[in-house]
Amino acid sequence: MSTQVAVILSVLLFPGGLFALTLGLALKGVDRRVAARLQGRVGPPLTQPFIDLVKLAFKRTMVPTTACEPVFLGAPLVGVVSMLAAAALVPISGLYTPEPILGNLLVVLYLLVIPGIVLMVAGSSSSSPYGAIGFSREMVLMLAYEGPIVLVAAAVALRVGMAEGHVATFSLVEIVAYQRTHSIFLLDPVMWPALGAFCLFFPANLGIVPFDIPEAETEVLEGPVLEYSGPALGLFKVMSALKAVVVLGLGIALFAPLGLSGAPALLGWLAEIAVLMVLGVTAVRLSAGRMRIDQAFSFFFKWPLLLSAASVAAIALV
Amino acid sequence: MTNLPVTSESFTIPVGPLHVALEEPMYFRVAVDGETVTDVDINAGHVHRGIEYLATKRTLAQNMILTERICSLCSNSHPETFALAAETIAEMEVPERATYLRVVAGEVKRVASNLFNVAILAHLVGYEALFMHVMQVRELAQDLKEAVFGNRMDLGAICIGGTRYDLDEDTITALTVALDRLEPEIREIEKTYRTNGSIQRRTRGVGVLSIDDAIACGVVGPVARASGLLQDVRADAPYHAYDRLPLDVLTLPDGDVWSRAMIRLHEALDAIVILRACLRDLPDGPINLGSDPYVPPGRAVARSEAPRGELLYYLKTCDAEEPERLKWRVPSFPNWDALTVMLSRAKVADIAIIVNSIDPCISCTER
Repeated sequence: MSTQVAVILSVLLFPGGLFALTLGLALKGVDRRVAARLQGRVGPPLTQPFIDLVKLAFKRTMVPTTACEPVFLGAPLVGVVSMLAAAALVPISGLYTPEPILGNLLVVLYLLVIPGIVLMVAGSSSSSPYGAIGFSREMVLMLAYEGPIVLVAAAVALRVGMAEGHVATFSLVEIVAYQRTHSIFLLDPVMWPALGAFCLFFPANLGIVPFDIPEAETEVLEGPVLEYSGPALGLFKVMSALKAVVVLGLGIALFAPLGLSGAPALLGWLAEIAVLMVLGVTAVRLSAGRMRIDQAFSFFFKWPLLLSAASVAAIALV
Repeated sequence: MTNLPVTSESFTIPVGPLHVALEEPMYFRVAVDGETVTDVDINAGHVHRGIEYLATKRTLAQNMILTERICSLCSNSHPETFALAAETIAEMEVPERATYLRVVAGEVKRVASNLFNVAILAHLVGYEALFMHVMQVRELAQDLKEAVFGNRMDLGAICIGGTRYDLDEDTITALTVALDRLEPEIREIEKTYRTNGSIQRRTRGVGVLSIDDAIACGVVGPVARASGLLQDVRADAPYHAYDRLPLDVLTLPDGDVWSRAMIRLHEALDAIVILRACLRDLPDGPINLGSDPYVPPGRAVARSEAPRGELLYYLKTCDAEEPERLKWRVPSFPNWDALTVMLSRAKVADIAIIVNSIDPCISCTER
């Protein structure tokens, strides 16, 4: 199979595209169901996110007369495409190795910034004042969590790179391979602070409580996506479903790739993702209230930054 | 929204008239600079219902039904205060048993109403699990109302000259059991609001109303007591059986959103103490003065402590069966004005939390 075909298949079919979307929506369904059960409710059927998406696909997209239409409609498309590419970039230990041409950890980090930017562009192009507030909140939140995540990536890259004799390795394939031969970083005390920082990063990146500040329903009425409806809103849902898979998959690749191969590797990976979703998303969003943007900003400049910097320093010194 | 250009960090955002965080129609035109509120313009009058006019077209007995439908959350306080005004005009002596039964109806409503408000607070800070939990505890109070009065919201408990319901031994036992279940749950909720980091972070020092501002705005009820103003109609001018019951009026000094929530939770707990005392001391005797007692021409003002604060009724009767004038001032009306003070220099994120902290009842206010 030529490289081009492999790349296209990985972006559109597996592990990106259809597979990632189905998985992302299923995870959302699990999250909603588990959350409901923990709150003493019945909750929606597991297929609810799929049903919602189909419903939105058949609705009409309304564009506000004051909105900049090409930007308004283009923004979610850019977001979905960026996440499709990112999903194809994250390796699944023992099952999927991305083509080197697609890029490395740094490219994933760049691609993960795009949904945030897309929300900012969407919010400001809608000409709604709530969108504008969402825009500024998204920007502040992004500034706050991008620093720590870059340091987390640096910690992992340094750990692998220095062990293998060069300075840093940003290749996700090598990072996974290193952990398969040595031990996973989940069990490596030097990496624990970085893991802690990553655990704080991903609720912010996925926009869940306590960091769902830009889209806070009771404050800014969903903020950037307030004016969206129909298929355009559906694209945002697709984007966030893909993003959940990318971020959770990245977390597994960075800290806990399993040493399996073949079908058990897929099952193991799915189990890891599901556990991470329930513990890292559902449990987190149920156990706290939303922070204010100034509180979130100072929070990220305190704990995650400190933790990730601690890991980097420890690796550099040891 | 087309006339609200987004040109810089300063712009105007509409909060309401239909806003997801405010269940009722009220409209604030909020000027913001970044995330900070610089100016607030409060608009009322979106759903004028004309009930005061309607009341002059109904007989006094019919008005008992009508006033109960002014508001759902304080649905007992309205007919209660209306009956107090009519009884003042007629110089009626309400039977002793009825005065206790009226307290029971009022305090049960207070528990449910206060729990509802603190639940919404949790919802507004995005703490959905806590919101669901408090609503489930409130459901115990709702079940209790349904079991005793046959209704979850409108109790239909009051009539001029007494009450329309009575408590037998079985109901009293059921009530006691329900209160025993409710009390530890509310204590738990009170502890959560007192200690939980998420709640503290979003409510302490937010929407502060100093005692001077509280006096200047003439606020009433939990809003006043949270700002350190010791006032409660039940203590200041006892009606029904309140002078014989263990009423504990709490005030807090800070005047922030958190204090108001804590006052409400304390009052829900205190209501249970009062309810227990009522059930224990319930005297024997008739529960009302017969159907449709005569009310002569006259004028009277009556007030009571609704869950949101002082509720005031003015009633003027004439020779006809219908009142010549019926007017009420609901607690949300004076409290509403204080929002201008609370919202000045607030953060956009806190607008809904602050508005909710006065427990605004728009269906009362927009009568």
